[in-house]
Amino acid sequence: MELKQSSRIAILKEKMLSQKRYVSIEQAKIITDVYKRNENKPMILKRALALKEALEYIEIGIEPEEQIVGNRTKGVRSGVVFPEGGCSWVDRELETLPKRPQDKFHVHPEDIQTFREVILPYWQGKSLEDVIAYRGGEQITAISKVAKINQTDHAQGHICPNCETWLEKGPAILKAEALAKIDSAPAEQKDFYESIVIVMDGAIMFMQRYRDLLKETASRAENKGYREDLLNLSGICDRLSKYPAQSFHEAVQSVWFLFVILQMESNASSFSPGRMDKFLYPYYRNDIDHHIIDDQQALELIESIWLKFNQIVYLRNKSGAKYFAGFPIGFNIAIGGLDEKGEAYENELSYLFLKAQEHLGLPQPNLSLRLNHKTSDKLLKASIHVVAKGSGMPQFFNDECIVPGMIDLGIEKKDAMDYAIVGCVELTTQGNNLGWSDSAMFNFNKALELTLNHGTCLITNQKLAPDFGGLEIYDTYEALEIAFEKTIDFYMEQMIACCEIVEKAHIDILPSPFLSSVIDNCMEKGVDVTAGGAKYNLNGIQMIQVANLADSLAALKKLVYEEKRIQRKALLNALQTNFENNEIMRQILLNKVDKYGNDVEWVDTLGITWAKKFRNKLRSFKNYRGGVYHTGMYTVSAHVPMGENVGASPDGRFSQTPLADGGMSAVYGRDTKGPTAVFKSVSRIDNDLTTNGGLLNMKFLPTFFKHDTGIDKFSSFLRSFVDLKIPHVQFNVVCKEDLLAAQEHPEQYRSLTIRVAGYTAYFTELAGELQNEIIARTSYEDI
Amino acid sequence: MKSLQEQVMKISNKCGTVFDIKRFATHDGEGIRTTIFLKGCPLNCVWCQNPEGIQKQRQVLYLKRKCIKCGLCVKASTHGGIKMTSDGILYERNIEEDWDHILYLCPTNALHFDSREYTLTEIMNEIAKDQVFYKHNGGVTLSGGEPLYQFDFAYAIAKECKAKGIHVAIETTLAIDKEKLQQIVPYLDQIYVDLKIMDDKQHRTYVGAGNKQILANISYLLTSEYKDKVIIRTPLIPKLSATKTNIKQISKFISNLDSEVRYELLNYNPLAKAKYEYLNQPYCFDQNPDPFTQSEMESYYELARSNGIKHIIVE
Repeated sequence: MELKQSSRIAILKEKMLSQKRYVSIEQAKIITDVYKRNENKPMILKRALALKEALEYIEIGIEPEEQIVGNRTKGVRSGVVFPEGGCSWVDRELETLPKRPQDKFHVHPEDIQTFREVILPYWQGKSLEDVIAYRGGEQITAISKVAKINQTDHAQGHICPNCETWLEKGPAILKAEALAKIDSAPAEQKDFYESIVIVMDGAIMFMQRYRDLLKETASRAENKGYREDLLNLSGICDRLSKYPAQSFHEAVQSVWFLFVILQMESNASSFSPGRMDKFLYPYYRNDIDHHIIDDQQALELIESIWLKFNQIVYLRNKSGAKYFAGFPIGFNIAIGGLDEKGEAYENELSYLFLKAQEHLGLPQPNLSLRLNHKTSDKLLKASIHVVAKGSGMPQFFNDECIVPGMIDLGIEKKDAMDYAIVGCVELTTQGNNLGWSDSAMFNFNKALELTLNHGTCLITNQKLAPDFGGLEIYDTYEALEIAFEKTIDFYMEQMIACCEIVEKAHIDILPSPFLSSVIDNCMEKGVDVTAGGAKYNLNGIQMIQVANLADSLAALKKLVYEEKRIQRKALLNALQTNFENNEIMRQILLNKVDKYGNDVEWVDTLGITWAKKFRNKLRSFKNYRGGVYHTGMYTVSAHVPMGENVGASPDGRFSQTPLADGGMSAVYGRDTKGPTAVFKSVSRIDNDLTTNGGLLNMKFLPTFFKHDTGIDKFSSFLRSFVDLKIPHVQFNVVCKEDLLAAQEHPEQYRSLTIRVAGYTAYFTELAGELQNEIIARTSYEDI
Repeated sequence: MKSLQEQVMKISNKCGTVFDIKRFATHDGEGIRTTIFLKGCPLNCVWCQNPEGIQKQRQVLYLKRKCIKCGLCVKASTHGGIKMTSDGILYERNIEEDWDHILYLCPTNALHFDSREYTLTEIMNEIAKDQVFYKHNGGVTLSGGEPLYQFDFAYAIAKECKAKGIHVAIETTLAIDKEKLQQIVPYLDQIYVDLKIMDDKQHRTYVGAGNKQILANISYLLTSEYKDKVIIRTPLIPKLSATKTNIKQISKFISNLDSEVRYELLNYNPLAKAKYEYLNQPYCFDQNPDPFTQSEMESYYELARSNGIKHIIVE
């Protein structure tokens, strides 16, 4: 039987999309108030009490016909101000939020006043943002053009909580466990357990408030069916506040409560459910076996939580919104993959999740399919059918290279095989890992610019790095390499120092007891997750952007040093003047040397060599929590602002124009040999370079999928992707006309979603510049 | 300095002229394929989709859109083969110039050769690049021009691929000696045969040669042990091949030879016209016709069916 989207899901979806987004300071007021009343308490207790009061007093609401309830504000898609993270930027940007180019939010005028009179004064000097600025602001700014340090004004996120633990225990048992630990705990751990008890009390109250609201709404409901639904849901909330989840409906509701509360505690990007088809399966199986629900009802519950995943968005500052456009919140769900024995894993829920994505086509959750040699044809083809619908999902991850890469990093095999994805493409083990995935972005291309131009910025003429020479000085390619390495080393050491400042500030300012309760080993050790309580403690640095680097180095190597077709001094001069009156030289740089992404080995490996050096050197450092640093190759939407920081480059790129998108993708328009050549080039990136995640974007036109033969060919293509051990690929399936029409008539394309980079956003909600950039990306016609 | 007229390629089993290598080809056989376009064709269809593939010789092409009018080529021209105009350059490809040098200088590649010579080793290296994709049903397709026109090279590629276990398809007009066809056919896994026009006189007019040899070779293949490898194709060119009489005659002819024959009717592709523009050659239609609609295509299928065809290939 063909499963359908129910009418209530369609109504709820439409209603959600039509609601305006507002900034909300409600929780900020509560937090501020609690902090004021508890000045002398340890930070972790202040945090716990603030969360508890928010859970107790924040205004809640339910939508008619909702099957899954709960949100952190009464309205949907609110931009929540989170003072513990940062207030200064909010103060600077409050007035511009409704007008800024990316991710606009409306602001109630009275909130502006309250914010400035009540909230802001208290947090000045106390928020994470201010503390980091005080402790290392100058240092962080000084290196920011090359090494951009993230997580300086908000909590880290990027975590898969242990959903199984949460489902099997719930707040009541977790509270009891913490209580049992308090008495015997050493003094320094007592506060930790105490804070867990406090937040679990809050969680219980939060669920019971929904119970009461549902019951009260039921008493006024005229329609009998509706009344019964409300009472049923009220019963679920009640039971979840006291016991572990039993039914599928309870399990889904419980998962949603977990993520709402995690967001209320941290207000962070990318708390991801992970392998939800796996951990929800026992509940689904039981209900199906006992005829409690059928697949149609299960699908409706899944689509209900799918809608919920779209109701929490993330308020970033202006710069953050540019780097991570479309407020991705990163509820990443991984389906398929491997079981404990290394066999392919899938179940009915994997298919129901795909069906929900096909029906809704919304940006969240970020649906990911884990592929391996044993993945069934059925699951692969079902996924391709959904990809063909054009929402860019599911994206594909490759177990064959990710699992060994994680083991190499020191992760136990069983945890590696059970990996999931957080946020966009960041890789993590589940329920036991503070991966700190988006620690920093290291811009190789800016480092190269400074190496070529005597340490001076081409855009501002500011001296940023030591002068290790200049292009006209380096008389061999090897001499250039030596100087480039010195520049990279210079920045790497400073970057590590900055990362430590940031991690330390998170420990001091943002201990997170609720999160710690669902991360393995924190409860056992009595140590907060921010302080290294988790089983695994990684720190991920992104390398930006190997495609441009390869193209620039290839031009230097071949045209400047080997053929001597372009003189060193002349090239440096052209770069300094952004190729003014030098179009001939620019065209030579663009056209007379091979480019990354065309399966030309010597070019592809030029960039990768540097990524390897970088990664190997990075591994000699330990992060503040005692874990290792590792690397990723993804930019989200940062290739645009990162490009704005880079002057004209030897690959023929004009000053301040975007870098290659994705992370492993070629510079757009330069991959002229088609998708198989792109795959081959990308496959040259060693797997240990992308243990934190890699990102490859490809765009196909819908005609490719029109016939079953196209689906078959696409599935062969993805099988080869697995063979080639490429960590990730995602596909946009849209035609140019669609996008141009959407620019012209945004109102008619409100629900058109498109993969920006590691995530999907509403196309019409992206800034015009980014829209143009997406249109310009290479598309493979049905050639 | 050599003029292009003198640069006749050596056709040997060791090298051949290739005007394109298309990777991720998905329309010329099963799976994901690498299609090798071999240059040169004994025929001369007025609608040819790859007109750059007809001429045996390497030619200079000019893409006006890419030209930045820098004039480097004009300066390097020693015999007046290139002149600058306000609308880009004008070039005479048959005038003796050091074209290799001139094209090396062109910073945008607006001036480029339409093809290059490959040794067998080089072409096998290109093919090997996509080996990982052939594993899942893909392979190599030989196309053209007429791929069998450079017979020794095509034969060597097919044989080499077979030895490596790579699936080989060919798109051919069968305008070739029967002995040569017999020699290569064991190395081919899939044979797409173009049969454009049944009437010999019209075939001469629009395809540039008679069709006797083609029909004889089709008769041979469809009655041989290789008949299951064959798919007959007719490109539907408005008014020229897309006539009721023609489709009817072709259908009858091939289904009489083999009642299980597979037949594919290819819709008209209007995009070829653009190629004639940059080759600076006239195209068969001044007014470029539209492709046939779905229902028009259906009526051609029906016509083929009612004249003995049981297996229509519809993509």
